[in-house]
This record gives sequence, C-alpha cells and structure tokens, in this order.
Amino acid sequence: MSSPVALLPPELILVRYGELALKKKNRPMFERALVRNIHEATRAVSPVEIERRSGRLAVVPERRAAEVARRVQDVFGIKSLSPAWGAPSEPDEIVALARAVLDDALRDVPAGRCVTFRVRTSRADKSFPMTSTELDRYVADRILPGPERVKVQLEGPELELGIDVRAERTYVFSKRLRGLGGLPVGTLGRVLCLLSGGIDSPVAAWMAMKRGCRVAFVTYHSYPFLGERSKKKVIDLVRVLTRFQPSARLFVVPFTDVQTTIRDAAPEAYRTVLYRRMMQRIASAIGARYDYQALVTGESMGQVASQTLENMTCIGAAADLPVLRPLVAFDKEETIEIARRIGTFEVSKRPEPDCCTVFQPKKPVVRGKLETCLAVESEIDVGGLVEAAVRGVEILDLTPE
Amino acid sequence: MRLLYFDHAATTPVDPAVLAAMRPYLREEFGNPSARYPLGVRAEDALDRARARVARVVGARAEDVTFTSGGTEANNLAVLGAARAAGAGRVLVGATEHPSVREPALALAREGFEVHEVPLAAGGAFDPGAFERLLDADTVLVAQMLANNEVGTLYPVRELARRVRRLAPRAHVHVDAVQALGKVELSLGELGADSSSLSAHKVGGPKGAGALVTRAGVELVPLFFGGGQEAGRRSGTENVAGIVGLGEAARLAEERLPACRSTLAALHAAFLAGVAAIDGVAPLQAGGPGAPTVHSISSLCVEGAPAEVWLHHLEARGVCASAGSACRSRKGEVSPAFAALGLTADEARRVLRFSFGCTTTAEELALALEALASVAAELSGVRS
Repeated sequence: MSSPVALLPPELILVRYGELALKKKNRPMFERALVRNIHEATRAVSPVEIERRSGRLAVVPERRAAEVARRVQDVFGIKSLSPAWGAPSEPDEIVALARAVLDDALRDVPAGRCVTFRVRTSRADKSFPMTSTELDRYVADRILPGPERVKVQLEGPELELGIDVRAERTYVFSKRLRGLGGLPVGTLGRVLCLLSGGIDSPVAAWMAMKRGCRVAFVTYHSYPFLGERSKKKVIDLVRVLTRFQPSARLFVVPFTDVQTTIRDAAPEAYRTVLYRRMMQRIASAIGARYDYQALVTGESMGQVASQTLENMTCIGAAADLPVLRPLVAFDKEETIEIARRIGTFEVSKRPEPDCCTVFQPKKPVVRGKLETCLAVESEIDVGGLVEAAVRGVEILDLTPE
Repeated sequence: MRLLYFDHAATTPVDPAVLAAMRPYLREEFGNPSARYPLGVRAEDALDRARARVARVVGARAEDVTFTSGGTEANNLAVLGAARAAGAGRVLVGATEHPSVREPALALAREGFEVHEVPLAAGGAFDPGAFERLLDADTVLVAQMLANNEVGTLYPVRELARRVRRLAPRAHVHVDAVQALGKVELSLGELGADSSSLSAHKVGGPKGAGALVTRAGVELVPLFFGGGQEAGRRSGTENVAGIVGLGEAARLAEERLPACRSTLAALHAAFLAGVAAIDGVAPLQAGGPGAPTVHSISSLCVEGAPAEVWLHHLEARGVCASAGSACRSRKGEVSPAFAALGLTADEARRVLRFSFGCTTTAEELALALEALASVAAELSGVRS
C-alpha cells in the first residue's frame, strides 16, 4: 500500500509526567525543574522549545529529533514520551498523516502477523468540527489496511494511534516510550555520594538522582599508592552518570596520609573499617562546607565481609550527616542489572586498584567494635587529618563529553 | 619536574628528522599514491623510497615489504596470512610471544589448525628441543620473537630456523622483530626467516606505521580486501606520511646502529651497577643463565609493595617506567609470557621494566637511579 505522506523526522516529542502530576502544591516547581532538566539534557544535541500543556510537555527540537527523544528518555520525572508528527488541523490532512504514521509503525510488525489496534483522539481545541469519538472512527475507517494486518480492539490494543488536536496543528503518534519515572533531579535536595570505582556506588548515586536528589561525588585518592588511571576510572563513572544529571561535581580527596596513619596506628584487621570511618568524616566535613544535606553510599547488607551490621554501624557512626543507602537490601545481581542498564558496569569492572586495596588487611575484621575504633582514633589526630584532607581537595566539575 | 622517560619499549618520541621528513606529506604533498597526476606520482615515489629503506634494514627486496598499520597488524598478517595460505596443519608459537602473535594463533585453532605453544625450559631458558619434539612435516607455521619485550632476552632464532627447515620443510618461519629493530643487526636471510614484523614508533617513528617484510615468493592470504594496494596484500589507501616516517626512522636506526649499540650497552651496565647498590630491587633473571639480551630492556624484581605502587612513586619523581602487563590485573592472573618465564603471580606483580633508547643520556640514567633509590627507601618495609 502506498502512503501519500513520506514520514519526515518527528516534529515534536510529547512528554507525560507521572508522579509529578500528583504533587499539587509543589507542581509548578517540579514542572519548572523538569523543563530545565530537559533543556540541559538536550543542549548538546539541539536547541529545543518546550511548551507546557495540561499535564504534558511538548518538546520541539530544531533538529535531530530522534536523538533528542533518546536524551529526553534519560531525564528523571517522565512517565512516557511519544515522538509525534504534525499536520494542519483539517480532517483529511489528519487522515493522510495518520495513515503514514500507521504504515511506519506496521513496518516493525513481521509480515503475516495481525496486530490489535485503536485510534484515540484528544481535543484541546473544542472548536474542531468533530467529537473525539467521531474523529477516531473517521480516521480508522480511512486508514485501516485490512483484517489480515490489523484488528480493531478498544481495550488494551497492541498498537494505539494517538491524535492530539490543537487549534492550528494536530499531532499524531504511535509509539509510547517508557520514561525512567522518579522525580526531576534537583527537586529534593543536594547529596554527596561516596564513589569508589566499584559497581555499587554509581548505582546508589543513580537511585538518589531518580528520587530527585542532585548528586555530587566524593572519591578518595591515595597517590602515589594509586595512579592516574584509578582516578580516571572514577571520573569516567561520573561522566557516565551525567547522562542522567547533565553536570556533576566531583571532590577528589587526598587520602594517603589518612591511610599511612591508620596503617601505623591500628591493628591490621581494623584498617578497612577505620579508613571508611575517616571517609564518612571527611565527606561530612565537605558536606558541611559545600552545603550537602546527606551522604549516599553503595553499602549493601552482608554483601562483602566488611558489610556486616556491626561494621556498618561502626562506619555510619562516624558520619555527621544522614547516610542514605539505596542498595541496602539489594542482591548483587540486582545491582549489576541496573549498572548494566545505566552504562556504569563496563567502567566499574576495569581492573584498577582503589584506595581500599592500599594496605589491605589479609583478614579484615568482620564484626568490628566501636570501642576499638574509638581507642585507635584517640591515638591519632583525627581532626587534623580531616581538616588537611578537606583543604587539599581537588574539585572537578564534569559534564558529558 | 623533568621528565625521565624509561619506557622506550612501549613507545618513543618522534625523531625531529623523521617529523621533518613526514611533514610535507600531510600538507602540500597530500596526493593519493594511486592517482595518475604528478601529485599522486610523487606520493608513490615517497612510498617507493620508504620501501627501499625498510628493505635495506632487513636485507630484503623492496617488493617484499608490505606496509601495515604497525607491529600488531604485521604479526596478524604473517600468522593468519601464512597459515591460511597453507590451508591446514600444525602451528607452533613461542611461549613468550606478544599477544599480536598469540591471539591470531588462538584464532587459527578455532579455524581447525593444530596450534601448540612451545614451552621454555625451567628458569625461562629457550629450549630448541621443545620445538624439535613438535616439528613435523605438517607444520605450516612457526612463530618466534627475536627480542623479548618484557625482559629483553634475545632468542636464537637462526638455529631454530635451521631446525625448522630440516624437520618441517613446508613451514613458514615468522619472526617478530619489533623490539629488535635498531638494537641488533637484522637480516631476514641471516635469520633464515620467511617474514619479520617491524614497527615505526619503537624507533623514533610515528604510531600507526609498520611493515611485514617477507622472503621472496612467500604466499599470504590478506587480512584486508579492497583496492589491491601493497600488491594486493594490504588494501587501503596508504598512510603516506606514516610510511615516510617509518622509512626515515628505519634508515636512521640503521645508520645509528653502531653508536646506539654502544650507548645502550653502557646504559645497561650503568643501570645494573646502580641497581646493585639499591636494597629492595634486583635484576630479573628470566631468560636462563647467560642468555643474551637486548641492552634496551632491563627488568627488575621489586620487594614490598607491588610494582604498580613503585611505578606511581617513580612517576611522582618524574620517572616513567612500566610494570608489565601482569600488573593490570587485580585478580592476580599472570600474563602468559610471565608464566612461561616461570614467574608466580606474586613475582609477576613485582616486575618493573626500564627500557632505554639511543637518546637516553647517562645523566638521565643517574637521575632515574637516584629516584629509584629514594622510592626503595620510602617503600622499604611497606607491605601491600
């Protein structure tokens, strides 16, 4: 069957937001954040205009619409999106366009298979000469290719052709791409994620972003026991995450003095727990100085020997800020699945040492005691080490390449 | 901080004379060597000159030089090309071969060739008997490097080639000479080899240029098919500037060989003498007692912290050295070459490689030794 309209790139992208719509009083704030985040996420691809419509946004890209749609899919706070094509709001123009969109959608259906289908119109422009139901039928009657290919089914069809009638133009779409859900980044607050280079912490950061946090990162670098590549790995991880939050700050903390001090002062088995307590303290100090409201870690209960309840208690007790642990009840497989999906897994599995491998105890303590930690720490200049670490911090503001 | 570069086996800076030779071919002399107007013919002339220069360095005919993108492609072309030309049979590769020889050999095994890795004797010494036991009339390819890239051992390729001729007359003998160019005299005829691979960037040439030199009449199935450049052995518009750079680098390597050899020998001796005075480091004896080495590569065994940690402490003092491929792995796998040399996973993680070039000065070496001594003092008693 020939189609009278060759499909050009989509004219705009309809964006539906879910949970946002529920937040009555704060809704304008959430919407503004979403609009701002979409602008940021698409800036590198094309300038976009964003129109706010009741409960939806229409993102109109200047060029490269497909790539813009892909970027919008990575913005938190969106339930679904649809690339849409436009035509003048005249019944026969709409039919021609609807036929082209349907033909295009059917190209993804294997030959010989029949799909269930419906047309669904919504009219913002009530002056349009037909009701929504009338237009549904008018269009369907004129575009259906035949019963061997398409069967009308009003409840739960596989393929739904959406028609959005506006005063000047009418938009037609067939795809409904799933968004990531969650809340727009920046609507909930500012948090600081402790990033090691492993698989877990980037996923924890992603989950904090998903719930509307703007995430900054802190990593601990023990040069020259570690080299540039260990640092680059962490930088690369943050860059991957800028897909979901287009700019991110990374604090690189010099950690060598802390580690050599603990190595010389502590029982070997306690080194790891004591390093981590210092990390919490330093992150809390950075949080206080640069205004972050909570820490985020990739800790998961019982995942490695050091993540027992006792050790997590010892470690958490050193933090002055609340510690969020989005992965606390995750199995490793669940974390890996997300890491693969968001693109951090490939970077995380690069075999670079991190500061936890420096002076690593042969047998780390499994059930650490807080009194032992406190006793060791009373022998060293905790305050001085924290202050020096914060003073020596290197700040990197990272954006996607 | 002054850069003290001791990683010449990894790569070298482009020699100013090489850069000067290349420069016109990136701008005004940019023609495609296949084009029929003078601009193209001049580019072709440049290739011919480079070809003659490379041929001279290894005692081959110009028409037997195939330009490639570097040592890796040259090794792949030799291993895959020679074996596929033979169709089927036995393939022998040395135990310490570079991955660019080893991996294509493993690919041949998946194609149905019978591939053997020939072990070294205890202590890492070369073992001609091990080859003899595996050579047979069905052997179609033997690949053995000339100079080891990790520890510098020079292997007796000439004796090996003789044995191959006697026991496996059909076999193609491939010699990876990437680390030997500019360090020892190279002659394909003298070695008795059928092919040898070279790389420009190890001797003051640019990255992305190399060559496979073959004996007359050798058949190879190409890796790339297309416009039929390089006598059909390597299709694709030639990297003219890079090839000109390779030609000039090869010419200089040949011209400077006598001087370079004595420079390297002096550096090597001074390095070993310096190392002997430092606690916590010892020369790695990995090629067997008395085995000859290229003087451009010296590996050490370090104590205490792993080589990776030594490297970063050295780098903090401006010294660039290398820790060998084994140290890239956190899981403690040993690189196949180190395992073949008889090193345990722990030993392999303690190998620190210094490699010198003809441009390395005695003063730089003294400063590097000073840095090494200071790192050794700082890391003494530090466990990982």
